[in-house]
Amino acid sequence: MSQNPKARAFTVGTSLSLATVAGIYFGSGMLEHFDPALFWYAVASVLAAYAVGYRFTLWASRPPSRMYFKRGMQMIFGGGPKYKSNNAPSAAGEIAKSAATNFAAQNFIRERSYFRWIMHLCLSGGCTLAFAVTFPLVFGWLHFTTAPDNAEIYNVVAFGVTVRTFSIHSIEATLAFNALNISAVFVLIGLFMAGYRRLTDAGERATQTFYEDILPLILIAAVTVTGIALTISYKFFDGLYHGSMVWVHLLSVVALIFYIPFGKLFHMFQRTCALCVTAYKKKGAKEEQATCLVTGEEFASQRHVDDLKIVLDELGLNYRFTTEDGKEVHYQDISPQGRRRLIALNQGKLLKR
Amino acid sequence: MAKLALPEESYADQFGPHLNYTPEGGWDTREPDKLVDTHCCFCGVQCGITLKVKENRVIGFEPREDFPVNEGKLCPKGVKRYMQNEHPDRLKSPLIADPLTGFRKASWDEAYSKTVDEINRIQAKYGKDSFAFLGGASMTNEKAYLNGKFARIALQTANIDYNGRLCMVSAGAANKIAFGIDRAASPWEDIPKAKVIILAGTNLAECFPVLTKFIWKARDNGAKIIVIDPRVTPIARTADLYLPVKPGRDSALANGILHQLIKNNWTDEGFLANHTDGWEQVAETVEKYTPEYTEKITGVPAASIIKAGELWGPPETSMLLHARGIEHHTKGVENVLSYMNLVLATGRIGREGCGYGAITGQGNGQGGREHGQRCNQLPGGRDINNKDHREHIANFWGVEESSLPYEGLTACEIIDAIEEGKIKGLLSISFNPLVSIPDSNRTRKALEKLEYFGCIDFFMNETARYADVVMAGSLQEEDEGTVTTGEGRCVKLNQSVTPPGDAKADWKIICDLAERLGKKDYFDYTGPGQIFDELARASAGGVNDYSGMSWERIEQENGVFWPCKGESHPGTPRLFEDKKFYTPNGKAQMKGFEYRPPAEDVDAEYPIIFTTGRVVSQYLSGTQTRRIGSLVDQYPEPLCELHPMLADHLGIQDGDILKVSSRRGHIILPAQVVKTIRPDTVFIPYHWADKKAANQLTNRELDPTSKIPEFKVCACKVEKIEDAPNKKYELAGQIAGKPPSSPIKFYPKPPEHLSAR
Amino acid sequence: MVSPSFFQENEFFLDQSRCIGCQACVQACAECDTHRGHAMIHLEYIDRPTGVQTAPVVCMHCEDPTCAQVCPADAIKQDDDGIVHSAAKPRCVSCSNCVIACPFGVPKMNNGYELMMKCDMCYDRTSLGKKPMCATVCPSDALYFGKREDIERIRQEKPVNEFQFGLQTVKTKVNMMTAQENENIPVDVADFMAGATFTLPETRTGAPDVANTAVFDLPEIVKLAKNEPVEELQV
Repeated sequence: MSQNPKARAFTVGTSLSLATVAGIYFGSGMLEHFDPALFWYAVASVLAAYAVGYRFTLWASRPPSRMYFKRGMQMIFGGGPKYKSNNAPSAAGEIAKSAATNFAAQNFIRERSYFRWIMHLCLSGGCTLAFAVTFPLVFGWLHFTTAPDNAEIYNVVAFGVTVRTFSIHSIEATLAFNALNISAVFVLIGLFMAGYRRLTDAGERATQTFYEDILPLILIAAVTVTGIALTISYKFFDGLYHGSMVWVHLLSVVALIFYIPFGKLFHMFQRTCALCVTAYKKKGAKEEQATCLVTGEEFASQRHVDDLKIVLDELGLNYRFTTEDGKEVHYQDISPQGRRRLIALNQGKLLKR
Repeated sequence: MAKLALPEESYADQFGPHLNYTPEGGWDTREPDKLVDTHCCFCGVQCGITLKVKENRVIGFEPREDFPVNEGKLCPKGVKRYMQNEHPDRLKSPLIADPLTGFRKASWDEAYSKTVDEINRIQAKYGKDSFAFLGGASMTNEKAYLNGKFARIALQTANIDYNGRLCMVSAGAANKIAFGIDRAASPWEDIPKAKVIILAGTNLAECFPVLTKFIWKARDNGAKIIVIDPRVTPIARTADLYLPVKPGRDSALANGILHQLIKNNWTDEGFLANHTDGWEQVAETVEKYTPEYTEKITGVPAASIIKAGELWGPPETSMLLHARGIEHHTKGVENVLSYMNLVLATGRIGREGCGYGAITGQGNGQGGREHGQRCNQLPGGRDINNKDHREHIANFWGVEESSLPYEGLTACEIIDAIEEGKIKGLLSISFNPLVSIPDSNRTRKALEKLEYFGCIDFFMNETARYADVVMAGSLQEEDEGTVTTGEGRCVKLNQSVTPPGDAKADWKIICDLAERLGKKDYFDYTGPGQIFDELARASAGGVNDYSGMSWERIEQENGVFWPCKGESHPGTPRLFEDKKFYTPNGKAQMKGFEYRPPAEDVDAEYPIIFTTGRVVSQYLSGTQTRRIGSLVDQYPEPLCELHPMLADHLGIQDGDILKVSSRRGHIILPAQVVKTIRPDTVFIPYHWADKKAANQLTNRELDPTSKIPEFKVCACKVEKIEDAPNKKYELAGQIAGKPPSSPIKFYPKPPEHLSAR
Repeated sequence: MVSPSFFQENEFFLDQSRCIGCQACVQACAECDTHRGHAMIHLEYIDRPTGVQTAPVVCMHCEDPTCAQVCPADAIKQDDDGIVHSAAKPRCVSCSNCVIACPFGVPKMNNGYELMMKCDMCYDRTSLGKKPMCATVCPSDALYFGKREDIERIRQEKPVNEFQFGLQTVKTKVNMMTAQENENIPVDVADFMAGATFTLPETRTGAPDVANTAVFDLPEIVKLAKNEPVEELQV
């Protein structure tokens, strides 16, 4: 693969787009089950796939992120520097565990605040459910057929294979047909909580930006509200304005899909790095520790310190000192506490106090 | 009451100190309903602060930059002071001692009835003076005035005194002798204009942190700073000259410096001749205090004494600031007067950038001692033994002069009299003598002998555990009134919230008691505003004249300096500008003192000097600050500071557990081995109670004039406890109930393999 | 919102040597709305056994922040005012790269939150035209926020905003006070590195040993402590 990050990103983006096209083509049985009404959604998805791939690759090739992905891979597949260690945990196990606590339960958000934890679970859970339903439908991977002998019996067909059969009067049917409405309710709860917080919390109000913090809420709200409006329109108002609302909904969804690679919501992809980091930290904690040259205390894993030295070099930062007797001291071998102490001693020395 | 009904721990479980870490309502929802401009409840600097109030609760603070003294600056206590409000330990109803549970809740009627019945019974049986009153200098001027009036009219006892007796009475007495007025000569604004500053026995950076602003401004202007202290305090660290005086030798050091001034003709002979009395006697006294002789007494090198003279002598302007370090002695008054000689000898007083000042440690250390709360004093700073003064106040109050008691006992003497069985009943307010008076074991014995003890406080302080009745009073922010700061500026405290539950404003409790004692006519106030107006009128004509002040004016002008003798009088920020002193002949009275040793000096059995003081995160007996989590974390428990030289000789390492004992008691605590203290001295801060109380060791001997006890020097011995279960600072977290998370970490030495050169 | 000129007119000036270690800044920092009970400022004893020197450390808000460069998650952002913020909550992966790479030792990792939090010059306050909390309360003006012309007029020291860490030059938004003759602050490791490790000199300015400035008679005390006969007590 090309060493130029942009070229590499282009390659990955294009591949991802092509893969999506291929997925749609083959997944929908050579477009047999592809719903032409959802054509523009599919187009947006293909373009977004390119953007996500491009952005992800660019991001993942920055020295610090690349280092973590590389170490993550090495932890699973072997290789990389070795350190004295006692009883290092299994990397695959750690990554799986971290995926459960980090991605699903989002325990770290609960630590920050219960309010935000519930808010985030509603938003991420609702959105995930909605996407899990929408994308397979849009791509023609999933469709429903009625049983030939009984119009009240539905078959769920995924990739051309019937995976479930249920009566339209069953609870399962209600849940399946209303999956998007259910997800919308969760998302709305999350949105209200987020909106309340953004309006009332002095700390958030000070630091939030429109593009990063407000726009995603507006986009998700637009998708949710227009989606619910579609349901209400055909269920209670005989499809009043349904035709134009379909387009409004489409527009909002396309906007959201295009926002994902470029804004706050990209964090759902970036959190993959957290999986590597968690395993890396766990491994490092069991290994040899770096001792600060100033305080004499351990402050990080030796692995982390050494890797950071590489990252700093790659970034073109040179925190090396040469002592009078010609020895080289790397500033990275000094802990944060030691650095604070050194700076104060130097400042005091210059002022003679 | 006799001995405690329950073990100490049981009281601690029920009433604290517990630690409050989180503001009322949590960190996330802190939009206030209103902002109240007021002042900090702690030391004598009385920094301006704005409290955030929501639903009648204090939920935070905002710096108050419009108040000229602190311009928004605060110390850590000031920042977190709001956490005392809505504290889980807050007393919300009267309590009556109960043999089974320690205390039970009671109605005000029951608490008042019991108190008044006991007052009447004890006074009928043992005489009026057998019932004593102890007040506090953290209370407003209004309350100080009310306490004095209550004792003289309602209780009719001579024995009223206050905890300022443990604070700055030596300075007060000395100022009165030398200048005829008990106040700092200049506003703190004069500090930055001084070219040389002596800080004598004041750990300014830890006890009055905000005043360092003025010191650094002076340094920016080129001033030289001389710090006199047995320890390298933070302000001493960067001082131009540091004089490590041996505790208890202050008057000799002042004499030594004065000797240098005379020798080099740095005295202002014209000023001395025209405006002072006694200079010749002073000069004669200090004649023998050559640098060598002074070095021998004080432990300050002769060269440093000469240097001090060189720095203090020539400049045009100077400021002398002092605090408890020179005042807490059996010769506290002599120490202060000896230092005042340095001011008077150079004539640097009564003009811009010149003067002296005792920095008051308590919130109303200045005002609390002016309005009749002291055993020898009537409002307006008047003398209770002076016939004219007595008549003036008796007329003002509308009572017979003969009904006014004469001078009574001072605070420590009251405790002694209780122990000796002469005083049988006590009512105390905002005072925690078990922690704050020396020789706490003796104080405890005294408390056990009381037939009745009533306590008014907002928290169950350690002394209140011995009370028969505890009356839930008010925190500073739950009432309004005025306080007078260490520079003589009277400022207005504004009410932020009302007292919680059944708790009542202190002034109301006092007035209710007075009513039940049959003196309603004298205590029929609608609020502290009315009390202030009466106080101001009562002070008219006295030295401490507040008659030109009103609450409105005080607020408008960001405080008014007394004397203020009428509405058109501007107040007096700087005293003596006309070179007239408040003495009978208008001249400053100088007096030289021959050095004499402290009441208890080191000897073979107790060979080490013991001294006490404060830490920045705690206030006085800790009733308030030992309840605020993040302040406790900053310095969780007392440590014994000692020099590595002494530690080496005693085989002690940093973190070892020590037993430090004096003739009166002992304390067990970790060692903090530091090069910042004289090798012949150990230091323990005094804010903690019971077994952690430094005052178990200190000496009860009093200054003959000011009756201040000798907190700052006694003799002790130090032993290492070999098999102490708790090593290092682990001990710290135990009482706090939470491991300390102080951001200040003690750096250990580097591991051996690294420290080899 | 704040007028655009607020950060141009007002700057942060740090003079650690004035610090009295009172921790008002630490206590006040925790009170900020963006900090929610967590103090972002550091305040430590340099070496308590030898002295009472303490040093407050706020974020210096580097012009090209190392913390942001080493962040694998793009979580650390610098705004148009030059303020470097706490890690963005959704992005931070709590790897601590920033914590151990920051040349000033500023960022703090909140492990429970899996979030790096750091000094943001009290953006909740400064963005409304108020001074940062620490610089408002600091009793000794070790932390000062105000106009450059004021500090240049008042102080004898001079503000600089360039630091030399070995071969690396770091420019910052926050100024540090130093002696008039200096154009930058060289962070000298060598001076404190004897051989392979850090050693504080036996005596140093700013940490006077009382044993060197006082007259005392320790043998006398020890004799007393050991109950040996003493001829005569000193006054």
